[in-house]
Amino acid sequence: MQILMRNYLMLFVLFVMSIQIACKPKTDTPKKEDNALDRQVLLTQMADSIIIPAYGNFKTKFDAFYLAANTFSSNPTEPNLIVLRIKWAEAYIQWQTVELFDFGPADKQTIRNFYNIYPADTTGIQFNIANPSANLDIPASYTQQGFPALDYLLNGTGNSNASIITYYTQPIESEKRLAYLMRVCNRMQSLLGLVITDWNGAFRETFINKTGLDISSSTSLMVNGLVLHYERFIRSGKFGIPSGALLNGIASPEKVEAFYKKDLSITLAKTAHQAYVNYFNGKSVHAGIEGPSLKTYLNALGAKDGVTGQSLSEIINAQFVQCGNKINGLNQNLYQEVINNNQAVKDVFTEMQAAVRMLKVDMTSAMSITITFTDNDGD
Amino acid sequence: MMVIEKYQKKIMSAAPLAVFRIFFGLMLLGGIIRFWSNGWIKSLYIDPKFYFTFYGFDWVAPLGQFTYLLFFICGLSAFLVAIGLWYRLTSIVLFASFTYIELIDKSVYLNHYYFISLMCLLLIFLPAQVYFSVDSILKPKIKAQNIPQWNIDVLKLMMAILYFYAGLAKVNSDWLMESLPLKIWLPARNDMPIIGSLFNHTWIAYLFSWFGCIFDLAIPFLLWNKLTRPYAYIAVIIFHVFTALLFPIGMFPYIMIVSALIFFPASFHQGIINWISHRFKPKNNNINSFTRSEPKLKIYFFLVFFAFQLVFPFRYMCYPGELFWTEEGYRFSWRVMLMEKAGYAQFIVKDASGKQESVNNSEFLSPLQEKMMSTQADMLLQYAHILSKHYAQLGFVNPEVYVDSYVALNGRIGKPLVSNQTNLAKEIDSFKPKTWIQPLNDEIKGF
Repeated sequence: MQILMRNYLMLFVLFVMSIQIACKPKTDTPKKEDNALDRQVLLTQMADSIIIPAYGNFKTKFDAFYLAANTFSSNPTEPNLIVLRIKWAEAYIQWQTVELFDFGPADKQTIRNFYNIYPADTTGIQFNIANPSANLDIPASYTQQGFPALDYLLNGTGNSNASIITYYTQPIESEKRLAYLMRVCNRMQSLLGLVITDWNGAFRETFINKTGLDISSSTSLMVNGLVLHYERFIRSGKFGIPSGALLNGIASPEKVEAFYKKDLSITLAKTAHQAYVNYFNGKSVHAGIEGPSLKTYLNALGAKDGVTGQSLSEIINAQFVQCGNKINGLNQNLYQEVINNNQAVKDVFTEMQAAVRMLKVDMTSAMSITITFTDNDGD
Repeated sequence: MMVIEKYQKKIMSAAPLAVFRIFFGLMLLGGIIRFWSNGWIKSLYIDPKFYFTFYGFDWVAPLGQFTYLLFFICGLSAFLVAIGLWYRLTSIVLFASFTYIELIDKSVYLNHYYFISLMCLLLIFLPAQVYFSVDSILKPKIKAQNIPQWNIDVLKLMMAILYFYAGLAKVNSDWLMESLPLKIWLPARNDMPIIGSLFNHTWIAYLFSWFGCIFDLAIPFLLWNKLTRPYAYIAVIIFHVFTALLFPIGMFPYIMIVSALIFFPASFHQGIINWISHRFKPKNNNINSFTRSEPKLKIYFFLVFFAFQLVFPFRYMCYPGELFWTEEGYRFSWRVMLMEKAGYAQFIVKDASGKQESVNNSEFLSPLQEKMMSTQADMLLQYAHILSKHYAQLGFVNPEVYVDSYVALNGRIGKPLVSNQTNLAKEIDSFKPKTWIQPLNDEIKGF
């Protein structure tokens, strides 16, 4: 018995060794298709060519805005207000190109919650102005800060430039108002700093080295974050909720993004959508050249429609084009569109819904990634 | 008839059954501890607000905090079965508690839980306590060195059915011709050390598919045959260790590796018992033979049990439509790891007065429940009825429930499982074919 057992053990060892030998040459000369399936290559491209440079671009715009905010707070004049608004809009637009990175450091800081939950809670903002030590870390405060709060503070505190300037120059109250404006800006600056420091530091290594596909792996967290972002923040937040298509059919035009600025909503949505498409296709931020991406990964997996032979990445990209066309059909002022032309807004939602299905079901299934978030739409 | 009578009288050592009892009980205890320490009792059986009971088992209710007690009882009885104390009672308690747990929520259903339930059921009727057990020390009267051989053969037969049917289920065009779903799952592990890069090649998915199919079909015979048994057992170890490394399937591979020891001869098991005795207590010396005559009822039980096991997995033939798509007759049939299926289900509840609401699934279901529900027609229906009841309480009059569903099966582009024009609140669950399921419009040939 014992001798027999020893023989089997030997056989097993031989088997393992033969596998190792058989695999050796493969690891030495990786083929091209291996490369497209190498998640480390994919994650490195995402981090180095897209995410980190995109945050860099956003920081440039944010710093310019922050500078203008400081200028305005020390000297609240109409020309300074006009400059500040332009810088705010530029930063808000640029934010749309990084908001989708809802994983890793951004997820750790939940930066999105503090940057862009709308509609702004004006009563809460007024309360916070009166109470300079109000807690801005709690969920109830999400709608009292970030770009939507700034939208209110810079565009919604008066009917004209003159009345807004009055708002910030009145004796007694104005100081608290300017202080709150700066408090919001400072908070955004420090959160952004934390996220960028992480990406430029140790997190990048962690990100590109966790190459598995289990729940805690980089690719899984990234894909989960991306799918959630498209579903909840692009589809529902920008179109589904204001048009009422998401919940009960009742339109809520006051829930559009950049409600006080009004003519910015569609630019924000277009920018966010394009950034998403670029990320899917691995388009580098600086050079604008496509590299390893979800698209190339899906292609290397051979994901396709078995009936027509069309690749899944082509199908998804075609759907993105459909969504883009529908957005392009809308006027800049989404608030007015919801009131006058809501079917067109609902159509965007419907088109995006088709894209959500492809991303959430077809793409994740082809990649063997489990969706771990629950879609609490309609929040 | 002579052959049968002769077979009934055949006796053999009780050692294999005793060893099986010990290992199986301890594995189960380990499984319960693992389940508990992973926090799954809370997340799977206490946190959810609603549960998907099996058809005909609506009376199985969740127990809230008492679920911990149920698991404790289950773990304790597994341990008592292992040491063979109060075996006749504890084997029943083990079967009842384990099966109750599995019946609470079908979103937790796994074939290997079903397998464990069946093995526990068989153990109730087997004299596993007569040898090398605490019972046999406390009541020397029941002690026996030998038992009728068929008591061990029924366990072998159950194992054989599991493997063979699992192999048969792999004889289908997706598995053999397309190497699906392994073609999807293996590249996900291409970052494994040493062998990872192999998984980028489709030939390896084909190799694994074909090997897995042939392994499952052949292994019962190879284990049963004395000449091939040692090699077959090595294959069992390699096969299950591989599946354990590649897929998140918990205790299953280890339970199978240990259970397959039942195929080894009595001398092998006696060796294990001697080894344990040597460590823990003096020799278990007795030479009684098992003399109690078997009640006829027991024989009938086994006949019915195995007739059911042989026929039930084929019930899918009574349903039209593609089995993998409709999943009518899919469970309890040893269809293991055959599908990569993902889905999405957005429910809308309406009533005649014009009230309408989109349902936020996470308000009702856990992430696991939502995942399972979105791909399985019977669960979509159960959920629709939960919603209908809930919204009726919120003032909807005769709520109508519709679903925007989208399901992808084995790499096919997704499509609706149910038409969004079907009012699911009006459909009733039964064993009858669910005519409201949309066709897959594709055929997966084979079993």
